[in-house]
Amino acid sequence: MSDPSSINGGSAVAMMGKDCVAIACDLRLGSQSLGLANNFEKIFNFGHVFLGLAGLATDVTTLSEIFRMKTNLYKMKEERLIEPESFANLVSSTLYERRFGPYFVSPIVAGINSKTDKPFICGFDLIGCIDYAKDFIVAGTSSDQLFGMCESLYEPNLEPEDLFETISQALLSATDRDALSGWGAVVYIITKDKVLFLIYFF
Amino acid sequence: MSRRYDSRTTIFSPEGRLYQVEYALEAISHAGTAIGILAKDGVVVVAEKKVTSKLLEQDTSAEKMYILNDNMICAVAGMNSDASILVNHARVTAQNYLLTYNDDIPCEMLVRRICDVKQGYTQHGGLRPFGVSFIYAGYDDRYDFQLYTSNPSGNYSGWKAASVGSNNASAQTLLKKDYKDDLSLKEAQELALKVLGKTMDSSKLNSEKIEIATIGKNQDGKIIHKIWKPAAIDAILREIGLVKEDDEEEE
Amino acid sequence: MDIVLGIKVQDSVIVATSKAATRGISILKDTDDKTRALNEHNLMAFTGEAGDTVQFAEYIQANIQLYGMRENFDLPPKAVNHFVRNQLASSIRSRKPYQVNVILAGYDEAKEEPSLSWIDYLGTKVDIPYAAHGYAGFYTFSLLDRHYRSDMSVDEGLKILKLCSEELNKRMPIDFKGLRVKIVDKSGIREIDVGL
Repeated sequence: MSDPSSINGGSAVAMMGKDCVAIACDLRLGSQSLGLANNFEKIFNFGHVFLGLAGLATDVTTLSEIFRMKTNLYKMKEERLIEPESFANLVSSTLYERRFGPYFVSPIVAGINSKTDKPFICGFDLIGCIDYAKDFIVAGTSSDQLFGMCESLYEPNLEPEDLFETISQALLSATDRDALSGWGAVVYIITKDKVLFLIYFF
Repeated sequence: MSRRYDSRTTIFSPEGRLYQVEYALEAISHAGTAIGILAKDGVVVVAEKKVTSKLLEQDTSAEKMYILNDNMICAVAGMNSDASILVNHARVTAQNYLLTYNDDIPCEMLVRRICDVKQGYTQHGGLRPFGVSFIYAGYDDRYDFQLYTSNPSGNYSGWKAASVGSNNASAQTLLKKDYKDDLSLKEAQELALKVLGKTMDSSKLNSEKIEIATIGKNQDGKIIHKIWKPAAIDAILREIGLVKEDDEEEE
Repeated sequence: MDIVLGIKVQDSVIVATSKAATRGISILKDTDDKTRALNEHNLMAFTGEAGDTVQFAEYIQANIQLYGMRENFDLPPKAVNHFVRNQLASSIRSRKPYQVNVILAGYDEAKEEPSLSWIDYLGTKVDIPYAAHGYAGFYTFSLLDRHYRSDMSVDEGLKILKLCSEELNKRMPIDFKGLRVKIVDKSGIREIDVGL
C-alpha cells in the first residue's frame, strides 16, 4: 500500500533483437488507485542511449534530470556522446551513491554502441546492481506479467519489424492485467542509424 | 615604492590601481587575438592560435573554443589553464540552472556568474587573478543572439562586435569601420576572418593558426553551436580568398 | 478535506479553493484564501499540513519575487513549476519534509498560453488540463472527464466548475464554506465572484 515503488504505478520493458534494440513503457501516472495523467513518459534519451525509469514518479523525474545534467557535462568534456555501456555504469554509481536512502526506481537501459554497433540492454535494482541481459529486461508494477509475456513471446535475433510487434504485444498484454499500469504506451525501436517510435493511445 | 602594492591582488596602490589585475590584463594583451561579431541570425567568434609547432598534435580538440551550454559558446584569450577552471565552473553553473528551472540559463546570468568568480580573486586576498578574457556568444529567448566580453577584473559588457587579446585596439578600429547592423552570419564570418587576418603577425591564415566557432539557428529554429573542424576552416578561408600565401608556397 | 481545483481553458486557468480553514472539529474561518500570487502571472494553490502550507507558499513566493527583482524579468510558468517541484523533491528527503500539495496556474506571456501543473508533497509533477488534490478529485474528475474541452471559454469553464461545486456540496460530508475562484490569464491574476 505505502510501498513507494507502487504509489504511482507504471511499467517499462526492453528487448534485444538482431542489430537492434527496443524499449517501451506505459504512460499512466496515478496516486494509488486514482489515475491522474496519461502522458507521463518513462523513457528518456541521452544521445543514442535510452533509459526507462519505472517506480516513484518524483524520483523518475529527479533521476531523468540528474542524468541529463551528467550526460551533458560528459558530452562537453569528452566531446562525444556517452555509449550505452558507460551510461549503465553511470546509472549504477549514481544509484549506489544513495545506498542508504535510495531512489525508488527500477531503471532499464537500451542502446546500440556507436563504435562497435553492438546492441546493449540491461536493468538495475534500486541501489544500482546491474543486471546484464541478452534477451529482455522488465521493470515496474507489471513486471510479473511482463516476465510471463516476454518468456512466451520472445525469440532471439528478431528483425526490427518483428521486435516491434513482440515488445508491443508483451507490454500491452502485461499492462492490461495491471491496474496501476496502462493508459497508453510508447515504443522505441533503435537500429544503428535510426530510431523509430510509436505511441499507443487507448 | 610601487612594488609594495604588487604582491597582493587586493590592495589599491596610492594612485588607486590594482597592479595584479593590470598585469593580468597585460598578459592577455600578448595572447592570441579573439574576435566576435554579432549577426542578425547568429554569432561568430574567431581566434588566433599563438603556439604552433610541427610537433604539436593537430587533430585534437580546439584549444580556445569551448561549449558552455546548449545556448552558449566562448573563445578564450589568455592562459588556457586558468580558462579551463572557469569554463568548468560555467558548465556546472549552467547545468545547475537547468536542473532547478528546466530552462537554459539566460546568457547574461551565466556571464555574470563567471565574472563573480573572477571578481572574487581581485578582492579576497593572497591569490592571483584569473589571467583570462573571454568572448561569449549565446542565445536566449529574451534578448535573442548576444555577444559579451569579460576580463580579469570581473567586468563584463555586451557588444555588437568585440575583440580581446593582442592587437585588440587595432582590431576594434577595423571592426568599428566595417561593422554594419543587419549583417548575416555568413557576412559576419567573413568580416571576422578578414579583421583577424589583418591583426595577426603573419598574414598566413590556415586551420593550424586559427579557430572558428559559431552559434546560429537551423531550419527548425533550433539553436545550433559549432566548433569548426580544420577542413571547414580551410574551406571558408579558401572561399573568401584569405589563403594566398599558402598556395604560393606550395607552387 | 480542503478543496483545491484547477481547470485550464482556451487562454486562461480557473482556480477554485475552499474557503473553510479547519482545525480538528472546528471551522476557524470561512474566508480563507489557500492561494498565493508568486508573480504577475503565476498563482499557487495549496493544501496539506497546517502551518507547512503557508510557510512553504510564502517561501516560494519570496524566491520567485527575488528572481524577478534580480533579473528584472519574471520567471515563466514552466520554470516556476520546476522550481517548486525541485523544492518539494529535495524536501521529501530532508529531516522534516514539507507536507504540502500544490496546483500551479500560470500564463506564459512569451508563448501566449496558459499552464496548469499538479505537484504533490513528494515532488510528483504532471501538466494536466484539470487538476485536484485530496478527495475533491474523486468527486469531480468524472464530471470533468465528461464535460471538459480544451478550447472552452472562461464562462464555459465556470459552468463545469459550478457542476463540480454542486457535486462537492452534495456529497462531501462537511461544509467547506464555498469556493474562492481566481482566474489567471494574459492580464494577470484576478478574483471573481461567481457565488459558489
